Amino acid sequence: MKSLIHMTINDKEYEVAVQPNQTLVDVLRYELRLTGTKKGCGTGDCGSCTVIMDGKPVNSCLVLAVQANGRKITTIEGLESEEGLHPVQKAFTEKGAIQCGFCSPGMILSSKSLLDRNPKPSEEEIRRAISGNLCRCTGYQKIVDAVKSVIE
Amino acid sequence: MLLPKFDFHEPATLTEACQIMAEYGTKARVIAGGTDLMVNMKRKLVSPEQLVSIGRIEELKKFDSTSNVLKLGSCFTVADIEASEVIGKKWSALCAAAGALGSPLIRNLATIGGNLASARPAADLPPPLMAYGARVVLKKKSGERVVSMDNFFRGGALTEIAPNEILSEIQIDAPPPYSGASYINLSSRSACDCNLVNIASFIALDGPGGTIKSARIVMGCVGPTHMRAPSAEKLLIGEKPTEAIFAKAAEAAMQDSSPRGFAESRASAEYKKDMVRVLTNRTLSAAYKEAMMQ
Repeated sequence: MKSLIHMTINDKEYEVAVQPNQTLVDVLRYELRLTGTKKGCGTGDCGSCTVIMDGKPVNSCLVLAVQANGRKITTIEGLESEEGLHPVQKAFTEKGAIQCGFCSPGMILSSKSLLDRNPKPSEEEIRRAISGNLCRCTGYQKIVDAVKSVIE
Repeated sequence: MLLPKFDFHEPATLTEACQIMAEYGTKARVIAGGTDLMVNMKRKLVSPEQLVSIGRIEELKKFDSTSNVLKLGSCFTVADIEASEVIGKKWSALCAAAGALGSPLIRNLATIGGNLASARPAADLPPPLMAYGARVVLKKKSGERVVSMDNFFRGGALTEIAPNEILSEIQIDAPPPYSGASYINLSSRSACDCNLVNIASFIALDGPGGTIKSARIVMGCVGPTHMRAPSAEKLLIGEKPTEAIFAKAAEAAMQDSSPRGFAESRASAEYKKDMVRVLTNRTLSAAYKEAMMQ
């Protein structure tokens, strides 16, 4: 039986009727058409489903939609503002950190989350922060460089 | 991957949760962070009719370090354990294990209770918890009981938790002065990987520069559950902490371990035994270093 859940996604209020066995990533993609969040492994290993929930980056494929009730969620779509792309997004596009782009939403959200907590991370801290996000294209170097370039 | 169908309950209090577990028993499964259970459900290895989420029960997230006993609610997240200054200072091996678990994303959802209840022989948190002599509180409708971590795992993904019980709290005594512990895990990748061998060692000296008065060595991945290394521990007692005695204990721990070398074990039994020796040696040295820093 469906239940009504409320979420604040990218500062907008949403009310959605969901089945108990629907994951957050499925509700974001299929019900709300926020397809920036990707589905890769479905088991919390690849990180392409990364969203920020109540300030913490998590694998949305492992969160039931009903568990997200009442929570504040940021997806990749929420990073751009009226002023333009978020600095992390801009750095990714400028530094060649995006090839196929599939890991990018998750990488960018994990990186943004790191910089919110730690504005001057070391290379090791950057690599550790994105260790839950896999990239098959870039070999990670340019992603790390892009995050470094955002540090003042 | 589709999840099986289930009825979802989200009790606001532990009493309510125990009520639901008493009603449904084996037909219900508790979910907290879900980082293990969700994967098993997606793989159709587990299909509970009732899912009971305890993630919003405030008392299960408690962190009480006021007395000589650390009391952690079972839903305290692994990320919060890693970040805790108090735990990092007094129970450093637990902090290290929390940092080794999964990935930063997983750690934000995963709970200490879940890492125990999922009973995986390669799990990161059990070795340091057993090395510190931790206990768990199992609560049910009619009361609660306290179980030592040494008696918690029954083998084959079974734990002491009865179908109508909920793991509510983990209790860890403050380590005595002149004691130290260390946790090291070996895996192919530094994140998002299952451990090949993981070891936690704890030693307590009877004074600065004294002899070893107690020792606990816990091994993961080398048997059906996490296990102690009794002959290694025995030969350390009463000895001065030297490189030689640590090497001897490491050899004994190797003999105590019983890896089975299945295809799914990720490494051969010989390699695992050898790594037990290496990691026991390293964790004993590191535990001694910590004991001397006080």
